[in-house]
Amino acid sequence: MTEDTKSDESRRHFLKSMALGSAVMGASAVAPGLPLTKTSGAAKADGHAKQKMAFIQWQPHTVPNAWSKGIEEVLNAQEIFDYQLLDGQNKVEVQVSLMDTLINDGASVIFLQPIDSVALAPSIASAKRRGISVITLNIDATEEHAAHVEMNHYFGAKEIARVMGEKMGGTGEVAIMNAPPGIIIRDQRTNGFVEGMAEYHPGISIVADVNAEWSRQKAQDALNTVLASNPNVTGVYGVNDSMALGAVDVAKQKGILDQMTIFGNDGERDALESIEAGELTGTQYTDVYQQGRFAASAATVMATGGISARDFQSQGTLLMPYIIATAENVGGIQEAQRW
Amino acid sequence: MISKIAARVPNGGLIAFFVVMTLFFCFFARNFATATNVENILVGYSFIAIVALGQMFPIMARGIDLSIGSILALAGMVVFDAILIFELPGWIAIILAIAAATLAGTLNGLFIVILSLQPFVATLATLAGYRGLVYAISGRQLYPELATTPLRDPSLAWFNEYYDVGAWFGLDAFITTPWIPASFLVLLVVMVFLYVLLAKTPYGTALKATGGNKEAARLAGLRVRMIEVSAYAMSGFLAGIAAVLLVARLTTSTEALGIGMELTAIAAAVIGGTRLLGGQGNVLGPVLGAFFLGVVLIGLTLMGISQFVQQMLTGAILLAAVGYDAIRRGAGQ
Repeated sequence: MTEDTKSDESRRHFLKSMALGSAVMGASAVAPGLPLTKTSGAAKADGHAKQKMAFIQWQPHTVPNAWSKGIEEVLNAQEIFDYQLLDGQNKVEVQVSLMDTLINDGASVIFLQPIDSVALAPSIASAKRRGISVITLNIDATEEHAAHVEMNHYFGAKEIARVMGEKMGGTGEVAIMNAPPGIIIRDQRTNGFVEGMAEYHPGISIVADVNAEWSRQKAQDALNTVLASNPNVTGVYGVNDSMALGAVDVAKQKGILDQMTIFGNDGERDALESIEAGELTGTQYTDVYQQGRFAASAATVMATGGISARDFQSQGTLLMPYIIATAENVGGIQEAQRW
Repeated sequence: MISKIAARVPNGGLIAFFVVMTLFFCFFARNFATATNVENILVGYSFIAIVALGQMFPIMARGIDLSIGSILALAGMVVFDAILIFELPGWIAIILAIAAATLAGTLNGLFIVILSLQPFVATLATLAGYRGLVYAISGRQLYPELATTPLRDPSLAWFNEYYDVGAWFGLDAFITTPWIPASFLVLLVVMVFLYVLLAKTPYGTALKATGGNKEAARLAGLRVRMIEVSAYAMSGFLAGIAAVLLVARLTTSTEALGIGMELTAIAAAVIGGTRLLGGQGNVLGPVLGAFFLGVVLIGLTLMGISQFVQQMLTGAILLAAVGYDAIRRGAGQ
């Protein structure tokens, strides 16, 4: 062995130790109840066979893409994992089939953004029986599993209502650009906003709640219709940023942007840039890369520590920290945190 | 000699391609050649094969059913509502769901023959209409707490059972045999029923004649309008059966169930040799087509091939199937 390769080896070990250390910290944050001391993670980390991990996303979108990048950052640093991003194609039966395939392939950890909380539960139970840990992102499942890492949908939306109401001076009419029914995060983001308005700003009334199907284009059409029947609307809440940006498009086109208060939810790059341009009023920002890193850190500990899904006594849950990004604080979000 | 035999075997080309692809994945995809993987393919694609068989009927009648995914969702939601809201026994819920799906299919046929609508247009309209109906009757919307309540009815749960058929025949003493899912057994029963219907009854001949040349069929005294309606009713009926299998597997139903299913079903039917110009098709083809898609997707996933490449390959396979059909027809003329 040459000096160079020795140096590479020791560097690799050092990086591995660092990554494992951060993984332990991350996992502690995610699931304080995990039996981390039961086995040593370092021993298995020295093994040669690569372990498989995969993320089954709902469908390609900026949010799961950013999660996947965060996950990859952590897993690639270990050099002992094969990682694969899989597309659920917005079909629950495809997600179930992919779960079965990964279970058969002996994946050590599966990251999952379930399309439906109940429909994926049998697959999660099946993975658990095989000792495979499942970590869900944003949408929880009814079957208990290793860990759940979620944006703070309800309280974030409540906080949006508080800040938005302040920007509107505590009075006025608001329209919600909403997602199709039947999705838990849609309800959390809607209920948080509605209850937040009722609690903090009872003088503001919500006069319209329309389905714009998560889409910027659909939100443009929807807001045009809403404004025709409710010309006094001065506030718009988009359940995601795309729909809020659609509302911005309409307000600009009608020349009423300066009279409007428009908030989104998620905190994607386009929304932050729109805030900086003085168009969108604000959004709930979550560092989605970090969300992926937290999930991957927990996964790393489980896999290298030989922790079987059967060992878990209870599911760990982490609600991600967030800020309500507005013109006053958006500059504080660093380039590396933008997704 | 071999080519003569192959030419006489229905779907010979597809069977050969299926075998080659399966062997390829057995050698190059880790954990493909396992009993568990066979179980996964059988359980994951049996209901798609049934939907594809349903799609075959309108295509054979020179039509198409774009609403098949929405009908599947409608039947799924009927099961959900009947069991969780009305607390009906599972077997009644299953009958109601299949009846609702058959009715929806029949309405498609009636719209097409009575209003003289293009099948593409009529079923595109009902694709949206039935999906809207699913949202309207959704127990998950009417009673949000039910959205997280799984369906545990024993009649429904049976469709998600597995049977150690290998042990029945003593094969488990030699190899690890896959357990056969009940959904695959249902598929086999459906195949036998449809084979008899299409190959052994006058109805099968009448359907092919109607799809091959409607005017000639009418002049020959066939009740072509009734036959067209029946093709869409069969499509709905089979979508209803598929919905029961899917809901049993998921232990719930969702408003978005079956979105995009029509494209998968059309792809499976066409890969299986069902002519888009009507008049031709058999029971084995769509089933092989569905499982072929399953083998390819699962094999590529196990090989770690990118999801985008998988979709491109699926498109390429569909193109190849349609192209092969066109060349074969060209050669036959």
